[in-house]
Amino acid sequence: MPSTPDNAGYMIAAYVITVVVYVGYTISLWRRARLMLRSEDD
Amino acid sequence: MNSELASARRIIRLGFALTAIALIAVAGVYVRALMYTPIEVRQGAAQKIFYVHAPAAWAALMAFSLVGIVSALYLWLKDPRLDLFAASSAEVGLAFSVVMLTTGPIWGKPVWGTWWTWDARLTLTLMIFLLFLGYLTLRAALSDPSERARFSAVVGILGLVLVPFIHLSVYLFRTLHPAPILLKPSKPSLPDTMLATLLYALATFTLLYIGFVTTRYGLARAVAAQSGREGTDA
Amino acid sequence: MASWIRLAWLIAAKDLRVELRSKTALLSSLVFAALVLVVFNFARDASLVSSTVLAPSVLWITIAFAAVIALNRAFNLERENASMSGLLLAPISRGVIYVGKFLANLAFVAAVELVTLPLFVLFFNVDIWDSLGGLLGVMALASIGFVAVGTIFSAMVVKTRFAELMLPVLLLPFMVPPLIGAVQVTTRLLSGRPLSEMLGWLRLLAVYDVVFVTLCVMVFPALVDE
Repeated sequence: MPSTPDNAGYMIAAYVITVVVYVGYTISLWRRARLMLRSEDD
Repeated sequence: MNSELASARRIIRLGFALTAIALIAVAGVYVRALMYTPIEVRQGAAQKIFYVHAPAAWAALMAFSLVGIVSALYLWLKDPRLDLFAASSAEVGLAFSVVMLTTGPIWGKPVWGTWWTWDARLTLTLMIFLLFLGYLTLRAALSDPSERARFSAVVGILGLVLVPFIHLSVYLFRTLHPAPILLKPSKPSLPDTMLATLLYALATFTLLYIGFVTTRYGLARAVAAQSGREGTDA
Repeated sequence: MASWIRLAWLIAAKDLRVELRSKTALLSSLVFAALVLVVFNFARDASLVSSTVLAPSVLWITIAFAAVIALNRAFNLERENASMSGLLLAPISRGVIYVGKFLANLAFVAAVELVTLPLFVLFFNVDIWDSLGGLLGVMALASIGFVAVGTIFSAMVVKTRFAELMLPVLLLPFMVPPLIGAVQVTTRLLSGRPLSEMLGWLRLLAVYDVVFVTLCVMVFPALVDE
């Protein structure tokens, strides 16, 4: 009976990339919004 | 113009609120998938990539469809807000397709033994990514707002109609030349806990899409309001 | 019915005349085709990879790239932008203008293909006489598909700064179904397979053409009208 392969490394890589992209995009939106709304308040 | 900016701000705030809730829910998915969902015996822990890959693909496809549909609506109704929404959906879709295109091969390598196969699904994910990229690059290269809106709407519509053809041609190719697949990831016969995790993830990523696109759309409306005319940089 | 065909043909003929006068785009496509064929011929080990296996792919890569170069002649469109605005003032249906442009581009791509084919026979030593009709047919079907979409995109990118870069980026996904179908049919044609094995692909190509030519005719007005 073949044992369960030990490939948790891939799983971690994928989960990390996913959260990095989502958080990164959120930050990008946040910064653009702040820049935009701040310049409006001038 | 002030009221336009005010509504844009409200939309942005709503968008961020939804995004925040969605991100917390994503954290919940992570906890559930990593700690409370069993490991698949044959594929190992890497199978769990499925819980982030499939929903990202779903969100990307949804974003893409909306770009196409809203583009068609724009050409029909000429409302510039429709164009702003299409552009927002394209940018958000690009983010999701980056996740889809990176997690796909990372899942494929341990489970199928290869980073990439030119099967119907993976080829489609690549094409959708390229279409998003083309759409956004075209927008960036056009300075006249009316041209930008009309031209990218055409790309959006053509792209949406293209998708079934890509799927068909690769599928037709594959049925004649089946790719060597070592382990086929199970889709229909998922035990209950795994299915629940998947559904939870799908709902969460959908909410994240809604949060992102709302925020991005609000941002686009704000930029449009600020410049005083129809979307200079959206 | 006849008058709009005549109009489209007039528009196409005018475009082609401008083309023939400059000849640069045609020449660069041909040089490119010859280059690809030569490189591929020297790149493979003839004892390992047979012509019949490699040839269809090489033929279609050549055609695809040469077609993009040909479509990039949109720079000529820039020169005649004045004539385009003139055309638009006339009471001609936008769809007819598109068909005219499409026909001109198609004729141009066909010219490149018809010169590439003998070069291909020469360098790869394939026998195409038995399958010539089928080959010409699949070349027509596939070309119609990507020239239809390419005409729309070349009209768009001429307004951008990096037109030669943007066109292939936009067009690539749209070339995938016609190219896959074309290579599949060409492979079977050159191996002498029966028609039944190609029908599925030919149907795909035909449907693609009908859908996209129709769609492009419908969206072209959005490109030229406010």
